[in-house]
Amino acid sequence: MLTFRDIPIKQKLMVIIMATTTVALVLAGVGIVAADSLLFRSYLKRDLSALARIAADNSTAPLQFNDPRVAADNLAALRVRTHLVAACIYRPDGTVFARYLRPDSNSGCPSAGGPDEQRFSREGLIVSRAIILNGQRVGTLVLLYDLDEIAERMKLYGITVLGVLLVSTLIALLLSTKLRAVIATPISHLVGATTSVSETGDYSVRAQRFSRDELGVLVDRFNEMLAGIQSRDHNLRTALHDREEALRDAEKARERFRFLAESMPQKIFTATPGGVVDYYNRQWTEYTGLTFAQMEGDGWKEYLHPEDVEPVFEVWTRSLATGEPFHAQQRVRRADGAYRWHLSRALAMRDPQGRISMWIGSNTDIHEQKEKEDELRRANEDLQQFAYSASHDLQEPIRNVAVYSEILAKRYSNLLDADGRQFLGFLTEGGRRLATLIDDLLAYTRAGVVESNMTAVDSSAVLGHAISSLAEAIRENEAVVTCDALPRVHMGESHLQQVFQNLIGNALKYRKEDPPRIHISADHQGAAWRFSVRDNGIGIDPHYKEKIFGVFKRLHRDQKYSGTGIGLAICQRVVERYGGRIWVESSPGQGATFFFTIPEHAPRVHSAAV
Amino acid sequence: MEQVTPSGFRRSKQRAARLLCLAMGIGLGMLCAAGGAEEASEYQVKAAFLFNFTKFVEWQAAAFAAPDSPIVICILGDDPFGTVLEQTVAGEVVNGRKVAVRRMKQAPPPKSCQVVFAGRPGKEVLKLLPGLGPGVLTVGEGENFVRGGGMIAFVLENRRVRFDINQAAAENAGIKLSSRLLSVAKSVE
Repeated sequence: MLTFRDIPIKQKLMVIIMATTTVALVLAGVGIVAADSLLFRSYLKRDLSALARIAADNSTAPLQFNDPRVAADNLAALRVRTHLVAACIYRPDGTVFARYLRPDSNSGCPSAGGPDEQRFSREGLIVSRAIILNGQRVGTLVLLYDLDEIAERMKLYGITVLGVLLVSTLIALLLSTKLRAVIATPISHLVGATTSVSETGDYSVRAQRFSRDELGVLVDRFNEMLAGIQSRDHNLRTALHDREEALRDAEKARERFRFLAESMPQKIFTATPGGVVDYYNRQWTEYTGLTFAQMEGDGWKEYLHPEDVEPVFEVWTRSLATGEPFHAQQRVRRADGAYRWHLSRALAMRDPQGRISMWIGSNTDIHEQKEKEDELRRANEDLQQFAYSASHDLQEPIRNVAVYSEILAKRYSNLLDADGRQFLGFLTEGGRRLATLIDDLLAYTRAGVVESNMTAVDSSAVLGHAISSLAEAIRENEAVVTCDALPRVHMGESHLQQVFQNLIGNALKYRKEDPPRIHISADHQGAAWRFSVRDNGIGIDPHYKEKIFGVFKRLHRDQKYSGTGIGLAICQRVVERYGGRIWVESSPGQGATFFFTIPEHAPRVHSAAV
Repeated sequence: MEQVTPSGFRRSKQRAARLLCLAMGIGLGMLCAAGGAEEASEYQVKAAFLFNFTKFVEWQAAAFAAPDSPIVICILGDDPFGTVLEQTVAGEVVNGRKVAVRRMKQAPPPKSCQVVFAGRPGKEVLKLLPGLGPGVLTVGEGENFVRGGGMIAFVLENRRVRFDINQAAAENAGIKLSSRLLSVAKSVE
């Protein structure tokens, strides 16, 4: 069974209207009847009291002159009051003097109560009144009035209330039909709209607004909410679509990358920003004979040469930390167990925010190249060894030639004719030059050897030693050598001194007429120190800027500038051995400035490094 | 010669009982007599009526000698009441005035009597009436009394005491009779 809570709103409205109307009318009816009953009773009391007073006054003379007939006639005149049941006059001794009884009355005179008393009894309203003459009570008048009138009035009221109730019920019924249109219809429409939305999922539905009251506001808010949901739904669909598209694009890009990676001759891999390798191309598996599962993650330790694992891991870790490109040479085991040299490189790929999204790396087989390099290096070393031994072994005989030709020239020149002395002079000169040449060659070959147990040296102290060695030449040339504060660098002390000595020596040699002025300074350039040696000499034609660093290259053939032409070659060889470079900036007649760089940190020397 | 009966005068227990019966039944002589041990005599009823008339009559102020003068009931000629009338009016006050009884043989001087009861023989009394002047209520016995110029006359009807009224005579004398008195009169002229 439906409770009141569950019945439709239009029926609720009807019930409420009817209940309100009925309660109001019944209460009003009861109130009116109660009030009227009270008022009527009090009116009746007053009315009967007045009647009793008049009747009592008219009864004095009959009482005084003992004329009950006249008194009875007077009382009979009261019969026009149809509700008067009885009217009696008592003598002071309580006996009835005269009376009037309504013909239908079946009771006698009501008993006399106190003087001037009104009381309601079962028979009706009883009014007693003392009959006073000349200040003396000469009798008592008693009236009995029935209350049929009150009952009649009550009945009339009851019928009226019932009638009004009936009419108002009819009006309420009519009103509720109208109210249905005002309240229930908009609600029905709203319910229809919500049902439609929930059943079809179509958020473009809108509820119709009928009024500007709370229901209208409700409909407006509902529509706004629907609009909000519709727009959000649309955005969600668009976002989903975009996301699907992006995923498709990403998938496409990945496939393209895979295809590219698979089609390349190199071994390609990718790694997460944390350095975990998550992709190897087909070339890898074919080369190593390992499955992807064996190689992924830390699997690279499996195929790398045991000696290379630690150094490569160190470089890889540094690249992961700094984001700088990874660069290493490593030996990778082939399926047949042979290790081949590979150049491994990896670059960090960054997202638009600059964060590393992945590492992409390639391994190129450089085994043949490396073999050739090693071969070349070995040949070079042999050659150097040979040159060193040769020049070392040549030093002694050459010195003998020079020494003895000089002795010969001193002691026996007088035994020789002019031609003989000239030839001897040629011999002596040639011997001296040969000795110098051998010394320089020796220095050059030595320059190719990097000193072990290298520590940082104070370059200004080294410069001091170089200047001391050149003290005589400086004095002869009346040159002025100045310098700024110089740093400590990781370099062999003798090597640095050799560079300084050669460059200063050059500046003294290629001087102009003016006394040479030479200035040495150093500044920081990236991860290296840049030294400069500036002079005010004859300068160098830019055309020869590169050539001057070749072995035995001399720009000036005349005797004015002596030398073997090996000094700058030695400088270049030393500087490059330490990972730096050397160059000159100059123009003829404007002096020249030689620059060379030395890396700030000690070069890493290990078997896998370049 | 004037004699005023003092009020509250008691003579014997028996008289007191009669008085009580009278006091209770003022104007109800018959009933009192019917209920009492002895029947009320005709003159006992007449005495009560005579006193009661004073309650339904209005005198002009000029009818009294002074504002506080009593209402004097004068019995002219023979006195049929004996002491009954004195007993009836003893201690009574009507319209703020005491009530007194006097007996006289000659016509009273003006303002000395407000009620004159003409005892027998009535014919001599009738002659005196014109000389009484205004303001005096005259009461007599028999139909002839009112025809002769009297105002109220006691008559017997079926052994019941009643009275006739000559309203014109009363008006001529400046006396106003209450309509209630008229309503219980046997006849009014």
